[in-house]
Amino acid sequence: MADQGQKNRPDPDKLLQLAARETRGKLTVFLGAAPGVGKTYAMLLRARRLKEDGADIVIGLAETHGRVETAELLDGLEGIPRKQVNYRGKVLEEFDIDAAIARKPKIIIVDELPHTNVPGSRHPKRYQDIEELLWQGIDVWTAMNVQHLESLSDVVTSITGVTVREIVPDIVLKRADDVLLVDLPPAELIARLKEGKVYLPGNAERAAVGFFKPANLTALRELALRRTADRVDDQMIDLLRQNAIEGPWATGERLLVCVGPDSLSEKVVRTASRLASGLNARWLVVSLTQTNDAGGETSKRLDKLLDLAERLGAETRRVIAQDFVEEIFRIARRENVTQIVVGRPKSARFANPFRRSLPDEIIKRFTDIGVHIVTGEEQGTPYVPPSMRKRTRLELAKAIALPVAATGVTTLLGLAASDIVHAQNLSMLFLVAVILSAMICGRLSAVIAAGLAFVFYNFFFLEPLHDLSIAKPHQLFSLIIFLGVALMIGDLAGRLRDQVARSRNQAKNTQALYEFSRKLSGTARLDDVLISTATHLHSTFGTGIVILMPYDGELSLQTAWPPDLTLDGTDMTAVRWAYEKNERAGSDTATLPQIGWQFLPILTSNGVAGVLGLSTQNRAALGENDDRMLTAILDQTAIAIDRAQLVRENAKTAALQESDKLHTALFSSLSHDLKTPLASITGAVTTLRQLGSRIKADTRDDLLLSIEEEAGRLNRFVANLFDMTRIEAGTLKANNLPVDAAEIILSSIERTKKLKPGIAIDTSIAPDLPMVNGDASLLGQTLFNLLDNATKYAGDGPIAVYAKQDGPEVAISITDQGRGIPPKDLDKIFDKFYRRVKGDGRAPGTGLGLSISRGFIESMGGTIKAESPAIRKRGTRFIIRLPVANSDDEAMP
Amino acid sequence: MNQHRILVVDDEPQIQRFLNPALTASGYEVILASTGAEAERLAATSAPDLIILDLGLPDKDGKEVIETVRAFSEVPIIVLSARDREAEKIASLDLGANDYVEKPFGIGELLARIRTALRQQAAGTSVPSRFEANGLVVDMVKRIVSRNGEEVHLTRKEYQLLVHLVLHAGMVVTHRQLLASVWGAAHVHDLQYLRVFVGQLRAKIEDDANNPQFIRTEAGVGYRFIAE
Repeated sequence: MADQGQKNRPDPDKLLQLAARETRGKLTVFLGAAPGVGKTYAMLLRARRLKEDGADIVIGLAETHGRVETAELLDGLEGIPRKQVNYRGKVLEEFDIDAAIARKPKIIIVDELPHTNVPGSRHPKRYQDIEELLWQGIDVWTAMNVQHLESLSDVVTSITGVTVREIVPDIVLKRADDVLLVDLPPAELIARLKEGKVYLPGNAERAAVGFFKPANLTALRELALRRTADRVDDQMIDLLRQNAIEGPWATGERLLVCVGPDSLSEKVVRTASRLASGLNARWLVVSLTQTNDAGGETSKRLDKLLDLAERLGAETRRVIAQDFVEEIFRIARRENVTQIVVGRPKSARFANPFRRSLPDEIIKRFTDIGVHIVTGEEQGTPYVPPSMRKRTRLELAKAIALPVAATGVTTLLGLAASDIVHAQNLSMLFLVAVILSAMICGRLSAVIAAGLAFVFYNFFFLEPLHDLSIAKPHQLFSLIIFLGVALMIGDLAGRLRDQVARSRNQAKNTQALYEFSRKLSGTARLDDVLISTATHLHSTFGTGIVILMPYDGELSLQTAWPPDLTLDGTDMTAVRWAYEKNERAGSDTATLPQIGWQFLPILTSNGVAGVLGLSTQNRAALGENDDRMLTAILDQTAIAIDRAQLVRENAKTAALQESDKLHTALFSSLSHDLKTPLASITGAVTTLRQLGSRIKADTRDDLLLSIEEEAGRLNRFVANLFDMTRIEAGTLKANNLPVDAAEIILSSIERTKKLKPGIAIDTSIAPDLPMVNGDASLLGQTLFNLLDNATKYAGDGPIAVYAKQDGPEVAISITDQGRGIPPKDLDKIFDKFYRRVKGDGRAPGTGLGLSISRGFIESMGGTIKAESPAIRKRGTRFIIRLPVANSDDEAMP
Repeated sequence: MNQHRILVVDDEPQIQRFLNPALTASGYEVILASTGAEAERLAATSAPDLIILDLGLPDKDGKEVIETVRAFSEVPIIVLSARDREAEKIASLDLGANDYVEKPFGIGELLARIRTALRQQAAGTSVPSRFEANGLVVDMVKRIVSRNGEEVHLTRKEYQLLVHLVLHAGMVVTHRQLLASVWGAAHVHDLQYLRVFVGQLRAKIEDDANNPQFIRTEAGVGYRFIAE
């Protein structure tokens, strides 16, 4: 019962698909059986109706093929101008995808789904453009003829005799949200053709006569109708699943398709695809190889094949096994396969006369599973197994020379030792030669060596000598056994050698990867990680490497090796694609394959962190082995980037906390400085008011004095704050005129003494001190600030004030004899709110005085600096330098 | 008149400059300390009846002084603090300070706090059986509360809350202290309880719950029961 409940719940996968569809744009395909059935017309007619209802619909691209009725429909519909593309001197018009995305309508019409874009466009195929539009959340209407469907292209070719070049993967149509069939009976279509209402591109006109035959059109129409009907079925099933309605959808059929690197396999895949779609069954394509020939011809062929299968909607799997039949059996059981599809090349019978073909073995092994056998001639480029592949001439020479030499030497040795060694035992020596050949040059050499050993042994050592005939029957027997053993040992030794070579290669890769990850683990800085990665990849693949990461919202080049590499605009488009889609872009991919780079996203746990570019200009495409290596390195890099970014984030957080703490300290200090005088004033005033009569007269006076003093302090503090604000806001304007520095110095000293009676100030002003260029009140305030500062920190010693001319400047120094300032703090004392003693228990002050002083002096065109220790390891000296006022300045207003 | 001795701990000479004559004129004997260490020493040796403590001291945090003093003495402590140091105020009260006064303050306010604290101290640990102020009567023997002669029906928690406030009349009681005494130590963070119950209590005993005469809110710190 519980099981029943389980079944009736909506299928989560289906709901997820639905959810994904809701953010994606919706794809509507107008499907026709042949050109001229009126797809564009139907599409535009519908668009007009929607437009009249107020829909946001624009024409991205519509082919009217010069037909007046169709062109009329375009009137009043917004269109996106086509892009002019220069290609080999010709100006071609293409759909402008960037403009379409920028316009971002609700619905866009992009005709001719199977179109191939001009080389150099963002995507090679229009369906990829459309995919991007959908991804951007734009609904797309498009049109195509059924003959362009990938799984049908061979059928169409066999029906009509026309080879279809522009192909659309079935998955595009399968994923479409709506498929509308635009149908026209063949007779009417032919009539339209005769009226000249059907446009055909120039070179197709010749084919047209053959193509537009009623029989062809009927067949195509049937294909289109059936495809649409299939989709209706699918939609029905989807709907049932989304709503958890029990239905008869589950055919329960599951196909297992076995393919190899042979050229018939492509046909097997296409046939299986039609079969699966007819049965409405899921299908799994398994590629079978005995060895992992990474990066080789076999691997590439299988890649292409599995790619095709995926486009046709299959699941795919790559299997390496020694016993194909057993492996197929295992997969079939595990996956609940109900039918198997396998190919039997016609030529296969001759390829291996001793072994039973794979289909035969499968049929024998499976008793309860249907087996479909696809037969046919090998198509396209015949497959050449790797062992027969051309070796380099040198390799071939070696592979032949070695066994000849080895068996030759063995023969000579045998002849020399024939007196002491029995002829029969010499066969052992030949086996050594065979093994040697196998170990050094592989299986081919082993076979040659075995053959030669057989001949030489027979010729030189078996009676009758110097003759290939054999005298005694038991010798014939041992000779045959010898040949068999030699072949077997040779084969085994050769295999062993291949395996050793492979393991060595793998060990080398592993070692390199290990070195790399060790190098990375020692670096915490992002720059170091990137440079390590770039240099490592450069030395591994011998090609240019770039790494791009987002910086200020733009992807920018972070590291390049060699360092002078640059990227152009098209390259950057591919980079952005790789970054945004988390997909490879550039050469060997579907996006901008013509550029000289392949870009790979660097995926970290926080999403795509950046893009790695691999120059492919001077280098062939990456083999599978390289690819695996690259992926492993990228993974390592991603982890290291993650870590580096974490470290950086941590540092940032720490800095932020530090600055937070600083702010808090600043505020509490400000609040303390403002409140203490206020508290004193309030306290004194309320004491006088409430308790005045009970307080002695001199205490009352003291309280009144404290009020006056504290009010003055508050006033200075507020004035300081205002000054600081003016300096910070840049509104402070020094009224610079020639002024008498001596006079200002003396008045400042007087002011200080008034505030701090009893303070000792030694003054020494050069008698011929010239006028300086400055603002009298700002200079006065600065000197007062410095003197005030000195009195606070002076200790008991007197404060010294000196002034004299020093070249074109007047230098004024104020020296105290306090504790001084440690050198490390000297730079900071002019910072706003900087106070050397922290906390409440320090001398009262705002921490603004020095900062304001610097602001003032700089506005007068002078400089201020501090020196410590000043005298005998004690004290601090502030030196102000102001320009001497010259006669020119005097003339100035 | 039995003269109370007050220890004033403040490092700002300006503050001492008016506190000293004001407290002396109000009939208190004043001893001054300007560092934490000095304060702790004087608290132990000169037996003050009350301590006025500025939290910002040059040698140590005023809170440390409270902790040290509370280890050997129940002498009332009134903290002088700036308004923006709320956390510090609450921490001081929770450490055992009896009250606080925000700077800048009028001398009258401080004197009132001093009187309340000294009175509480004099009452000692003996729980009064009856409390009466401005028409509000809390009979702690019969557990009856009446307002202007009419009995007010309180829930158990409301009653406990009111009693705790009344026993500390005139002084601030922190949220934490109230929660711990009425709801238990496990609920010291459940401010929401307190808000709700104080609201209900005000509705029952105040003339105008929006302008409370008895239970005043000390924003961010706690409540103060006004008995005068």
